[in-house]
Amino acid sequence: MTSQPIVKLEQVSKVFEQGKVSVRAVADFSLDISPGEFTVLSGPSGSGKTTILNMIGALDVPTSGRIFLEGRELATLGRGELSRLRRDRIGFVFQAYNLISVLTAFENAEFVLALQDVPVSERKEKVMAVLSEVGMADLAHRRPDELSGGQQQRIAIARAVAAEPAIVLADEPTANVDSAAADASLDLMQQLNRSKGVTFLFSTHDQRVMDRANRLVRLRDGRLEEDLR
Amino acid sequence: MRIHTMACRSLRRNLRRSLITAFSIGFGVFLAVTFTASGDYSYTNMIETSAVMGLGHVTLQPVGYNDSPSLSMELAEAEMFHRELTAIPGVEAARARIAGQAMFGAGAKSVGGAFMAIDPDQETPAYNLLTRSITQGALFDSDDERGVLVGERMAKKLKLRLGKKLIITVTDKNGEIASELTRVRGIFRTGEHSVDSSLVLLPLTMVRKLLRYGSDSATYVSVYLEDHRQATEMVNYLRTRWGQKDVEILPWQKTQGELAGLVAVDRLFNYLLQLLVGLVIAAGIMNTMLMSVLERKRELGIMMAIGMRPGQVVGLVLAESFWLAVVGLGIGVLITAPWFYYMAVYGIDFTSLMSDEYSAGGVVVEPVMKFRLYRESAAAIIGVVFTLTIAAGIYPAIRAGRIPPVDSIKEI
Repeated sequence: MTSQPIVKLEQVSKVFEQGKVSVRAVADFSLDISPGEFTVLSGPSGSGKTTILNMIGALDVPTSGRIFLEGRELATLGRGELSRLRRDRIGFVFQAYNLISVLTAFENAEFVLALQDVPVSERKEKVMAVLSEVGMADLAHRRPDELSGGQQQRIAIARAVAAEPAIVLADEPTANVDSAAADASLDLMQQLNRSKGVTFLFSTHDQRVMDRANRLVRLRDGRLEEDLR
Repeated sequence: MRIHTMACRSLRRNLRRSLITAFSIGFGVFLAVTFTASGDYSYTNMIETSAVMGLGHVTLQPVGYNDSPSLSMELAEAEMFHRELTAIPGVEAARARIAGQAMFGAGAKSVGGAFMAIDPDQETPAYNLLTRSITQGALFDSDDERGVLVGERMAKKLKLRLGKKLIITVTDKNGEIASELTRVRGIFRTGEHSVDSSLVLLPLTMVRKLLRYGSDSATYVSVYLEDHRQATEMVNYLRTRWGQKDVEILPWQKTQGELAGLVAVDRLFNYLLQLLVGLVIAAGIMNTMLMSVLERKRELGIMMAIGMRPGQVVGLVLAESFWLAVVGLGIGVLITAPWFYYMAVYGIDFTSLMSDEYSAGGVVVEPVMKFRLYRESAAAIIGVVFTLTIAAGIYPAIRAGRIPPVDSIKEI
């Protein structure tokens, strides 16, 4: 691991306005994530895990504080640059898989590469390689509604890593799958982390995920409670 | 990116709704073709009928004649124009004619009316409604300088029959009164009241002498084009060619101002009606597209979350509109083709609903409603269908492009 962090959060706070009530989801949170880490943000519901993940993923903006991704401060980037950043440097694995229902497994895994205008032949090669890695090459032609939850999660992981992003953000990736599928997904992500050095940042309160982390960041009420390496 | 594949699959996702929308577009095509094709047919029919009633699609006449017609105005080189016109590409035929006012007397009765003097060797029924409408007798031949054709109503008024004498009295080009005794060789009936009650066809040679015109002179030369829509271009060409000569060259819109106004107003109402129908259908399409976008808010948000730019999402929704237009147009062609074929070949006969003589803008109107669709009209319908359908998708597309990805994720 190098000392140059992929992600850096400085005194980040996020306040949601809900009618006349202000809810502080994240408070003065700072964090550095280095390349190759397999980090877990854990904490009870409402502790701010997903909000932090969304802000790192350039999907949401902090109320105060600064967030850097590979040295670029997100607040200085325009809408188009943020889209490109998400496309090229961040992979997402969502709780509910969120595959595009009208595309096949292959096309879902190919989606980000297609957005990057990667040539078709190169795209096909990369996607088949990553589908083989996640064990889904044989089901590449199936639509999401023809796949089980675990299989959909594998395709979501393939989509997240196909474009070789700097970091994969995984929000509660085991919440909607059975134990066997959850273990298989975690094995897969751990293997990608170890063999390819893909950096993962999870938000979860699933102990199985926490057990596999090489860094565990505990949150409580939007604040850093514990950072265990 | 497979934007069109995604668009087509998104449309297939709710196939019934997409088909209903496509059918509404198809119905719009059906209405647009019905309105436009009936207009194209009836306007063309009226313009052609007007042309063969005398003045053609383009008219060469003495300068100022159109504003104040008078027999003292003579187009001196009419025969030369006639000969040269027939060699010009796009010109089907040309006819030198003399037209004016006269008194017609038979026995103790006399009536005022109009005459048209024609060369029987030049005239053919294709370019002369009056010779086409002969009900008794026949057109006088070139040796017959005293033969005339009279309208049915005038014949009745003057108690004329074939072979009866008819005295024509005119003011010649010098302002002198001149008369000629003629004989009725034929009677015509066009169905246009004013024509049948006041018009007489006379031999050109006789009228030239009667009016003291030169042997090459006429009042005007009527030009018949292969396509009446080329009238303005032909006028421009002829003006360039004969700009130095003492001749006024006018398209039918100028010589048949009443008809041109009627066609223009009717066409405008036709287009307005089509626009209103189009807007109602476009509102339906917009509603469908908006529902489709709102139902997929999460999916579209996810696409943007993983790197699709808002502009690409807008493009995706517009691509759906495009394919909806393509399918709608296809359905429109399928449902319209048999109707169009029937109307183009057979039409609907309104004879029983119309009076015996029905005319508009001074032109006999055919009682059969038929279809004809010009290539430009078909292209316009396709263009408008695409424009309206894609325009109807713009607002939903913009809404789609503005979906905040983070909100989509929260909805999970």
